[in-house]
Amino acid sequence: MSLEPQELIELKSKIGRDPTSTELQIIAAEWSEHCSYKSSKKHLKMLPMKGPLVIQEKGYDSGVLDVGDGYVITAHIESHNHPSAVEPYGGAATGVGGVIRDILSAGTRPIGILNGLRFGNIEKDQQARWLFKNAVTGIADYGNCLGIPTIGGEVEFDDCYQNYALVDVAAVGFGKKENLIKNHAKKGDLVVLLGGSTGRDGMGGSQFASDSLESENRSAVQIPDPFIEKLIIEAILEARNHKLINAMKDLGGGGLSCAVSEIADTLEVGIEMDVDMVHTRESNMHPDEIMISESQERMLIITSKTKLKKLQEICKKFRIACSVIGHIKSDNQMHVKKGKKTFANLPIDVVANATLLDLPSKKPVYLKTIEKEKKLKPISDYSKIMMSLLGAPNIASKIWVYGQYDHEVGIRTVIKPGHDASVLRLDNGKFLSIKIDGNPKQCYINPREGAIGCFEEACRNVVCTGAKPIGMLDHLQFGNPKDPEIFWTFLESLKGLTDFANYFTIPCIGGKVSLYNETPSGPIKPTPLIGVLGLIDKTPLVPQKITKDDCLVIVGNTKDEMGGSEYFEYVHKFIGGKCPSVNFAESKKNMKTVLKVIQSQFLKSVHDCSKGGLAVAISELCMKNQIGCKISLENVPGEKLDIDRILFSESHSRYLLILDKKNLKKLEIILKKNKVSFNLIGKFTGDKIQFTKGTKSIIDLRVDMAQKTWINSLKDLVLHG
Amino acid sequence: MATFNVQVTIENKPGISDPEGDTILNDLVLKGTHKTVSKIKTAKMLKFTIKEKNKKTAESKIQEICDELRIYNPVVSKITVAVFDA
Repeated sequence: MSLEPQELIELKSKIGRDPTSTELQIIAAEWSEHCSYKSSKKHLKMLPMKGPLVIQEKGYDSGVLDVGDGYVITAHIESHNHPSAVEPYGGAATGVGGVIRDILSAGTRPIGILNGLRFGNIEKDQQARWLFKNAVTGIADYGNCLGIPTIGGEVEFDDCYQNYALVDVAAVGFGKKENLIKNHAKKGDLVVLLGGSTGRDGMGGSQFASDSLESENRSAVQIPDPFIEKLIIEAILEARNHKLINAMKDLGGGGLSCAVSEIADTLEVGIEMDVDMVHTRESNMHPDEIMISESQERMLIITSKTKLKKLQEICKKFRIACSVIGHIKSDNQMHVKKGKKTFANLPIDVVANATLLDLPSKKPVYLKTIEKEKKLKPISDYSKIMMSLLGAPNIASKIWVYGQYDHEVGIRTVIKPGHDASVLRLDNGKFLSIKIDGNPKQCYINPREGAIGCFEEACRNVVCTGAKPIGMLDHLQFGNPKDPEIFWTFLESLKGLTDFANYFTIPCIGGKVSLYNETPSGPIKPTPLIGVLGLIDKTPLVPQKITKDDCLVIVGNTKDEMGGSEYFEYVHKFIGGKCPSVNFAESKKNMKTVLKVIQSQFLKSVHDCSKGGLAVAISELCMKNQIGCKISLENVPGEKLDIDRILFSESHSRYLLILDKKNLKKLEIILKKNKVSFNLIGKFTGDKIQFTKGTKSIIDLRVDMAQKTWINSLKDLVLHG
Repeated sequence: MATFNVQVTIENKPGISDPEGDTILNDLVLKGTHKTVSKIKTAKMLKFTIKEKNKKTAESKIQEICDELRIYNPVVSKITVAVFDA
């Protein structure tokens, strides 16, 4: 239990007596970092949360956006890092389950899942391979069983995640605006627990997530059951259609303790409940255990007495258990009984509102020298370097991962994983584009610019499909916040995201903070993960096959920003240098212009330039379309740079536009008119990836050879070490 | 040295849910006339054949292999090792 001494004193003074053991357990769960956000909450308020499309209702676990014609989309992001690090299969799977119930609790049907996965060095570390393989299988098994497509995500490997795993899951939902649950309750309403039975699994998980992971502290694990989850989804949606749900909350971290206190706090009511009424998996469970168990696949519903019978019928039809565990009172107390005996009786506002902290922050010492570049070994053969980068775990094709996911079930998926952003068809004729991005390597070098970079990259990816960004999800993952240096990196990232969101008027519609991500060898690198949702009113840009003589135009400047690049870190094993920064004005101009061009509908495809830089982005186009290219590096816009910088710099705000030669004039007119920096840098032809500078050949690779390495290297690493 | 057959049963620890076992019970067995069944648990079994000095060393060797190679995850599962003469 992780209630600190001063918190215990505070609790005693607030309630004016010694707490019972059940009360202590409830408070420890609810006041944990995981549930109370006590370190971060004060600062999170800086993010802009409002916007013309945002629908704000009390008690939603997910963000809601109005997409017109009476429809809404919901979105949320969660992580399951600590459980996945000890039991990757169950941890990752139950992570998916949790975020799906957040979508469901607003009254919308989940229609897509995305995941961001981060592990240690899989080239060297067998444990990292084991974690990676099993986390992917866990997500695949759970999502596939539910019939919800896993439409995209990202995977990254870095030494800082040694013996650890970051498993982030985002989900989107879709529904009618009129069907949204308007959370409300009145005295006498019933509190119903629906779904899986309560057992001893996942005991104390939220506190576990708020402590650093130590080898002996590995008991909180949950077992996934996707079939119950599927039944819950269908039962809840049917109950929603019959207007049987007054208010609803999913049970996640902190179990019943958190769900009951938070829903009562939101609705400004009291709840009296009896633990004997909870359907349990094992007999003889102590009230403390029932209150903090984190058994999966459970929902808490508030319904009226008159609606109970119908709700029970629906549960019976779907064969899921439901128990009336308590009722609503007007006294604002959380009263937990077992039969007639009281085990806890606490004021709701004490339980649900931990004292927020104002932690000290201090700029980390390492940042003073990190931007200094060391002298690099000169590169004699760029073709060889290129081949090794294409096989590098962070750049290699992730088809081994998304190939295991059903990404088409539900028949909404218009752009599948493996492209920039994924696109789902909505019922009102519009399309939703979504992407998540993170970049711990750059965030480590510059927490502010790195976080902004993730945000811009996710926007860029969404723009590549022709969508306008309408909302953002943030997931801020850092080490121990009590270390002032770590807390400083948290604040810097948050400020960066806030500035970008304000400048682009993209509201933050939801998010999560995960702290205490520490491995035996220290804290993880700052890892904010940003999800961006974009809306396409008419037609998405579905990438078309590139054919001979198609032209390649780049928009945006390439700069000397190599810090955190794959080239520095994978090829030269060097962590440092100046990381890419986003020029807001230039970024906005490029984004708007590219969107305008896409709307003119003569582009074959647009690809964003990110990890691995220009060289990797162009090679990806060649490999996916099995066609060669001839690129003249002297035509790449930007300051005059060395060859390795032009090839591998990961500067932001750059887009690759591919089009038929005959449309080149049309494109130039629009780009010139909007005053963006651009140039024609080459064309697609033959069967070799060829980069030249003047008359000198820099890279000369066969497309089929490159493709073989790019497609197979990740799979070979996982399966054969 | 003698040859032994060693059976390793891998199952979820007690108290951890077993959705597969529950499904077989509720949706197959209890759907029929077999109402006397009250519990089904799923498990996986590995059958080893090993040359060792005696039963005891055979058992400890197999236990060691299972631990070292992560044949099961001790966080969620437990194993039972049974040794038989070949």
